[in-house]
This record gives sequence, C-alpha cells and structure tokens, in this order.
Amino acid sequence: MIRFKSGFYADIRTEDRFRTVITYKAGELEELKVRTEKQAFLRVYDGKMWYYASVTDLEHLQATLDGLYAAATENPAIMDDPVVKRFENNRDRLMSFEGCSVRDVPVKDKQALLLSYLPIFAEENCVTMAEGHYLDRNSVFTFVSSLGADIAYDYQTCGLAFNFNMAEGEKKFNGSFQNGFVRFDEMKGLAAVLRATVSEQAAFLRESVPAEAGTFPVVLSPEAAGVFAHESFGHKSESDFMLSDESMKAEWEIGKTVGSPILSIVDTGEVSGSGFVPYDDEGTKARKNYLIKNGVLAGRLHNALSAASLDEGLTGNARAVNCDFEPIVRMTTTYIEGGELDFDELIAPIKKGYFIKTINHGSGMSTFTIAPHIAYEIVDGKLGRPVQISVITGSVFETLGLIDALTKEVQLLSFVTGGCGKMEQYPLPVGFGGPFVRVSSMTVQ
Amino acid sequence: MEKEFIRETNHSVSLNITAGKVDSFRETEKTTGTVRVYENGFIGVAGCLGEPDWDELTKRAVEALEFKIPYPCALEGALDERITLDDEIIPIPEFIHTIQRFLDRLGELCPRFAFSNKINLVSRKTEYRNSHGRHLVSSGSTLEIGLLAQNRGSGNLFDAFFVWDGNEYDEEKLLSYFKEQYDAFFVPAEIESGRYPVLFMPGYIMPRLFTQFMDDMYASGVSLVSGKFGEKLFSDKLTFGDDMNPASHPAACFFDAEGCVSENYRPLLIENGVLKGILTTKKTAENYGLPNFGNADAAYDGTPGIGFHNFYLDPTAKSLAELLPEKAIFAAIPDGGDMTPAGHYATPVQLAYLMENGRIIGRLPDLNVSGEFFDILGKDYIGTVKDDPMKGVILCAFEMNVKVME
Repeated sequence: MIRFKSGFYADIRTEDRFRTVITYKAGELEELKVRTEKQAFLRVYDGKMWYYASVTDLEHLQATLDGLYAAATENPAIMDDPVVKRFENNRDRLMSFEGCSVRDVPVKDKQALLLSYLPIFAEENCVTMAEGHYLDRNSVFTFVSSLGADIAYDYQTCGLAFNFNMAEGEKKFNGSFQNGFVRFDEMKGLAAVLRATVSEQAAFLRESVPAEAGTFPVVLSPEAAGVFAHESFGHKSESDFMLSDESMKAEWEIGKTVGSPILSIVDTGEVSGSGFVPYDDEGTKARKNYLIKNGVLAGRLHNALSAASLDEGLTGNARAVNCDFEPIVRMTTTYIEGGELDFDELIAPIKKGYFIKTINHGSGMSTFTIAPHIAYEIVDGKLGRPVQISVITGSVFETLGLIDALTKEVQLLSFVTGGCGKMEQYPLPVGFGGPFVRVSSMTVQ
Repeated sequence: MEKEFIRETNHSVSLNITAGKVDSFRETEKTTGTVRVYENGFIGVAGCLGEPDWDELTKRAVEALEFKIPYPCALEGALDERITLDDEIIPIPEFIHTIQRFLDRLGELCPRFAFSNKINLVSRKTEYRNSHGRHLVSSGSTLEIGLLAQNRGSGNLFDAFFVWDGNEYDEEKLLSYFKEQYDAFFVPAEIESGRYPVLFMPGYIMPRLFTQFMDDMYASGVSLVSGKFGEKLFSDKLTFGDDMNPASHPAACFFDAEGCVSENYRPLLIENGVLKGILTTKKTAENYGLPNFGNADAAYDGTPGIGFHNFYLDPTAKSLAELLPEKAIFAAIPDGGDMTPAGHYATPVQLAYLMENGRIIGRLPDLNVSGEFFDILGKDYIGTVKDDPMKGVILCAFEMNVKVME
C-alpha cells in the first residue's frame, strides 16, 4: 500500500508488458522471443516542478516515491493548483482481453500461423526474399494517485508484417504488408488478402513508371488519409505545443475555420485497435474529441498541464511510450469522418491526378509530407498505371481547405510495427483512418 | 558450448523545458543483461532487466536453444580493450541551475523565439565478454541539447531546432552558435529555382540513402548496388560509414553487439568511392558470402540484427568557407522525403538558409530538393566538414535540384 504525503500531488503508473516476436527470413527462423517486462513511472508535483523516476524494481516503489518527495518542495496549497484540480479521480477495473489474452496462446500456435502464410511469397517468381513477423503485445496497466485514483486496465494488439524484396531485370521494389488486430483468431484466414497484395505489388514492380512531378488532384486511401490527418493536423492539435508561445492560442482559436466544410477530424481512445486508450496515463477516461467539425476548429488534445494552462477540459490524451518516460500529449485513434460518395464517384471528375493507396511514412510541420508506397495514376476519371512517387507535400492549412470530396465508409486501421514519433518518444501505437479523400491540389515529386 | 555475456547500463538525467523554463527533472537508470549461447549451429538468447544473474540467464539461454534458431558461431578472439570517457560534464546537483542560466541567457539573446523540449545528461556503459577470452568495456557521457524554437506568433508547432551534443559544456560557444542561426532566421533571403550546393546534417539525408547498403536488399538483388561489391561507384572524395568512435561521439560504444571492433571504430560502407561494405550481422555475412560489417545491434533479449549508430563521412575541407565558398543552401530541416526504387530522392525543406562564403546569412522560403542516388553520392557530392561552426557538428554538401515553393 503506497503512502502519499500531503503537500504534493503524486501518481504511480505501472505496466506489465508481455510481448512475442517471431521472425522468419527466407524460410529460416531468425528470432523467437517471449518477453515480460514490469516497470513503473512515478511522478511528484509541488506546484512548480515535476519530479519523475522510472524503475524496474516494483518491490521498492515507496522508497523511490519518498526520494522524489525529498527532491520536491512541500506546498500546503497544492490542492488548489489548477493542474491538480483538473485531474480526474477514477476508480475502475477494465479488463477487455482476459478471455482472449495472447499470453495464453502457445508460442507454437503463433509460429505455425506465421509459417502458414510464408509459402504465398514463393508463388511469385519476382520475390527474391521474404521476411515475415508475428508480433503481439498484452499490457496490464495500473494507475494510483494521491487524489485516490485507482485504475487497472489492459491493452492488446497482435498482427503480422511481411517484407518481400522483388527484382526482375533492372527493376526492383520493396514489397510490404502489415495488419494489426486485437485477437489472435482474427489473424486466421488472411491468405487471400495476402495473395492479392503480393500480386498487386508484383504488378507494381513490373509496370510502374515515374510519376510526373507537379501539382495535381490527389485521392488518398483510408490508410493515406488517416496518416494525412494524423500528420497534418493531429500533431497541431497536441496542446503542449502551445504552452511556450502565448500567441498560439489566438492563432488556434476554437471556432476558427481551418478546413473544408465537409471535413471533420476526430481523436478518441475508445476505439479498439492500436490506439485503444480507455484511460490515459494520467488516469483520465477516454472520450470522443472533435478536432475539426465541418471545417471549424472544434477542440484540442490535452494533458492536465496543457488543459490547465489553456483553461480547457481534459481529453484523455496524456500518453507515454512506456514507463521510461512521462506522459505527454499524444494522439490515440485519429480519423476523418465519412462523406457522401462512393469511390467511382470520387475519382470520376479527375482528368489527371494520382491515387495514393499505401504509404511508407509521413510527417507534419508547416508542410506535411507523405511518402507513397503504392500509387496509381488517375486519368479521365479512371485508375491507370501504377506510378513511383518520392513524396507528396502540401501546406497544412491550404490542403485542409482543398479537400473537396469524401466517400461514405470509414476504415480504421492499426499497424503492428512502427508508430507515432514525438521528439524522444517513439514508437507510440496509434490508430488512424478515414474514408477515401479527394484533395483538389497537392505537390507531387 | 560458446558463450557471450553482455551487461549494459544507461543513466540519464533529463530536464524538460517549457517556454524557456525548466519544469521537470527525470532521472532514469536501467541495467540489462544478455547471455547468448551457441551449439550445433544454433543460438539461444536470454536477457533481463535489472542486475543480471549470469547463472540463471545462462540456464535460460541454453533452454532457448530448443527454438533451433540457426546462427553460426564465429566468436571474436581474445582481446582486452577499454575506453572510458566518463569525465563529468555538469555535476548533477548543479544541472538545473546551470541549464536555467543558459536558457535565460539564450532567451535574452533570442527574444523572439520560445524554447521547449529536452536537455539531457546521458551516461552509458557496455561490457562484453565471451568464452574466447574477449573482454571489452566502453563507457562515456554526453550532454544532449534538443531545443524546439517557436517564432512567437508564427502559429507553427516549431520553426527551428537548436541541437548539439558533446562532452564539453561551453556556454559561450553554444550561445554564439545558436545566436548565429537565430539572427539569420529573421533575415529574409531569396533564391531562384535551379541547381545549388545544398548542405545537410548527415542524419537527415543519409537514412534514406543508406538503406541501399542493407544485407537483405543487397543479396536479394533489390538494392541499387546489388552485385557491385568492390566496384568504384561513387565520388573519389566520399568515404562513408558508421561512426562508433568515442572521440567523435563520447557516449558511443566502440564495439558492436557481437563484440566486433573495427579499424578506427568506424566500419566503412564506401571508401574513396569504392563500395567496401554492406551492413551485415555475422549470420548474414556468412549466408551471403560477404565480409562481416561489424556494427550489429541487438535487443537485450534478441538475436543480433543490422544496426547503425552515427553517420561518418571523411572530412574533405577544413572549414565551411573552404567547402562552400560561394552561394549555397543549408537545409536545416529537410523532413519527410524519400527515394523511389529507381533511386530518385526528393524532400521538402521546411527550414532553409542561404549561405555565402560558409556563413548563413538569411532564411529562404520553403524549398524542395531532389537528386538521383548515384549522382548524389557520385558526381554531385561536394564534400564534408567537421567541427565548423561548432565542435561536434558534421555537415555534408551535395549539388542538387532546388525548387522554390510558392
């Protein structure tokens, strides 16, 4: 039982993280490990400074906490501190994966599942080497605070990722496929999808041509649209970026028009997948947050410090990559809401443009970038040849205003490798997605 | 049965900065232990967080042989080498006060910027032993400054980075280095689209190019340099590799995860334009008939994989003025670009400066820069400078296509 001292705010977050990594390359086992790590992150706040410690020794948390208290300065008025007054005081036990935990699946079954898909790559002559990964993670979190919060919840992801090198004559291409799930059984029955992916990427190798550089209409798939929303606007919604510059609050005034009237962007930790965050790392319960609603700035993402600084409410977005780090403002699952059209209607008006189907990576500053993996020409309203594009870019605000059509259905996606990076904290699992999105003009290189 | 034992300790003290003020203090110490055993062509690995119990780890590593992960046993021979660069940079009890003073002075010199993010004191120690009598110890400390600068009123997440790392804290030199960039930020400069020398920190441009030197890509024929080992493919001036030398990077470990020690602690991919190395582990080196590169990495409980630590390029000039005497562009933040399979590299440059005679003189509008892989590292490679304008800084220049964004 932890003893908290008066005159300070304190909280302790623990994580019991289970992971499986299985890798095969060229048919040979490369890696098989099952890892369990238990860590804790402790915070003490005295109204002026935060003091943090990260430990693997969970038997002596009280001693570590007492060490932080000794470094801090007692503050009898700490309960009146605007940051402390913001914290929620939840008591809950939310175990969503106890009946289907990947901890309970024998490693041999995981190995067999991965192995069952590898022969698909040998069906294409141009595949010169294939690598397959099975990855899973099950975490059990606890959070207690000096305010009386006491929460326990779990988190789970699992998935398969394949990289396959392809070469034919002088032509070369790095193929890839990955998909994230939350239950082991969801990964069965993927052979048809995988076969179609390999076939498409083989066609890309053989038939793709360099894209014409310039400014064109671009259609983004749900994967590309989700990354676009994440990079172009999601990071701008992380309010800790506003704390150093007072003028940003005026620049980012709620109610300001920032995009097309058909555009709404949401962030929520309530959705199952890699961005599932039922309670954030400050014990705040998840909720649906509109960042943009019908083109108008509707909200921002917060931790307690940014919420207090900007006099706004908590949003459930205080997250840390692991217990080595303190929670900072991060996204959870960020997506664009759907519109009215179907895909054929969306591309019909485009005389010359591009369809970005899958991506390598993206980034966002005043200019955002998306590096496409698989892309196609759009000519006279129809999909055409596969094309090679290094990067598409755009000014964030200008591009948000150039979104002129959306399809109805929204797809939400999870990746099982990689994640979001923000300064020292990488990779953070996040979810993303959207409908198919048409942007009337983007720079293609 | 052959064995390897690795113990690694990382200690860091990290200050968070918001609006130019230190607002948090984080101290982290993490120790990991690794045992790898080799028998009958297989590897078994066991790792732990916290102080290792070697007997227990060895027992678990032997059990892990049951997974039958093939791995050649090619342990490095007997050698006892230690490099320790543990001089105190800033005493920890004075760290907050010293950094706050630095930030206050920086704020006075650069009043239109708001500063945030992290300043860290980091110490690392890695010890490697194997059953052939090899015993290696590498330890060092570094001060890492990573400041985001927002131009007050710009509305951007950040407008510039002020970054530096090294093992000497010279407050006057750091302030002068950052002030030069600050002053230039507010001087508008112009340039026409065209071809120019473009200067980069290697960590921005090289990651997209050096993937061509990865073992699997090379061996499977997908790399642009596949089948060309030993050939002269690039500029005579270009010598490029992984810098594991503590003289350049005080907290670097001079040996890799498999106990390999390279000449000058810098395994080279390219030497005087010749393709000399491909990133491998001992396993992939044997599988592909390549020389082992010697910069493998491994998680504390995993099998070795290819790694990369710090970009090294042989300096070709003593100063920026010598390297770039005329008009040039410093791509301070070129973020998000990539390369097509055919080798066309392109990236936007979100923060670019105009340079003349080796000094930055003004800020350019947003740009896009591009080039072809073999040209960038070949005829278009201009050269590299180290320790100008500040000790520890390395900058490399290439002739590239530059497009000014409207």
